[in-house]
Amino acid sequence: MDCEEVRQLLDPYVDGELDLTRQLAIEAHLAECNSCREAAQRITSCSRFIRVNLPVYRAPPGLKSKVRTTLANEDKPKFRWFREHGRRLAYAAALLLLSCALAWTWLTLSPSKDKELIAEAVSNHSRSLMVSHLVDCASGDQHAIKQWFDGKVDYSPPVADLTQAGYTLVGGRIDILEQRPVAAIVYQHGKNLLNLFVWPATSRKIDMDVRSERGYHFCAWNLAGLNFFCISEISAADLEKFEDELREKINL
Amino acid sequence: MGEERRQFEEIFLPFLDAAYNLARWIVQHDQDAQDIVQEAYLRAFKGFHGFRGGNGRAWLLTIVRNTAYSWIHKHAPDEKLVPYEEEKHAEIISFDQSAREITTEKRKEYLENALVRLPTEYREVIVLYELEGLSYKELALALDIPVGTVMSRLSRGRRRLQQEFTQIRNAEAVNGL
Ligand SMILES: [Zn+2]
Repeated sequence: MDCEEVRQLLDPYVDGELDLTRQLAIEAHLAECNSCREAAQRITSCSRFIRVNLPVYRAPPGLKSKVRTTLANEDKPKFRWFREHGRRLAYAAALLLLSCALAWTWLTLSPSKDKELIAEAVSNHSRSLMVSHLVDCASGDQHAIKQWFDGKVDYSPPVADLTQAGYTLVGGRIDILEQRPVAAIVYQHGKNLLNLFVWPATSRKIDMDVRSERGYHFCAWNLAGLNFFCISEISAADLEKFEDELREKINL
Repeated sequence: MGEERRQFEEIFLPFLDAAYNLARWIVQHDQDAQDIVQEAYLRAFKGFHGFRGGNGRAWLLTIVRNTAYSWIHKHAPDEKLVPYEEEKHAEIISFDQSAREITTEKRKEYLENALVRLPTEYREVIVLYELEGLSYKELALALDIPVGTVMSRLSRGRRRLQQEFTQIRNAEAVNGL
């Protein structure tokens, strides 16, 4: 083997990944050749340097239990259960509705309802970023999305095309906020996604300046009888700009 | 709890840190990495019957890696995943030379930034080999490339990493003056 061939194989040689024949051939060469031997030493120390100095991220606390919950949900024999317990399920659903109605009443009277709303929106937003939960209707066309919402919610959420301003429509889905189904319209700005929740301001009007929580920025306002709640990882300035652009488009 | 799920958790939950580390290095974002890890464990559980024993760590990391890629594809399709042109074998210079006279903290910081600058192909091969200890053969399976490509990619990756490190270090040295 000449120096050039040896150099090609030095990394796997140092890593102990060569077959015995080539391993021995390289050893023989290194015994004779100073410059290749030094090159091999440099690779060894490079690899060691990386292992010693490169940060290793550890799973944040809570991730384990999240994973276990995901697995447990998957593990439930749901469909069989539905078939066998259909009637009981209907009763349970009725009870659940009733308690939701009670909770709703309680929440609208509660002073902490903004906090609850924020927590729900944050969780909706981060859940939507998971691979399969972003949109139920994937479309960049405002009319297609608007039409998709028709019949799924009992109001008509405005869907604006803000491509000019740098916010591209990704699609729409139905989400739950304050115990009711709400329209969620998803935009993309650069690499970040933005969830805009829209629902009728019948029980109360929401208004919040841009704030942040858990690394997300959000803001809320009401317009034309609707509440708008917008959340994303984009900067506060970009979010404000989004609100301005959207307000302008809706007013037109 | 189902027997299958109990077994699955026993084998794979110990690799949670490794799974998170890989996802975190690929997408470089905590919340995204967490979501990817959850999704990957779900996929792994659904495909558990396809696991034939052997290196569970490599098997799981392969799934994490693929999940991260579909995530990128879905959420950041603009991200360039085009490989660098494989240049001719460049000479490796010594890390020790360029790392001399700087503190351990700085060394770690520069190295982290250097790795972030590398294209994903090189980043993942370095994380999987140097940090997670996969063999060339396991890397070939995980990345779905021939062993020969693993060889050149790792070797190239080390050199590029070193070049980036030296550049960052030099730039800092200039700024420091
Ligand atoms: Zn030589």
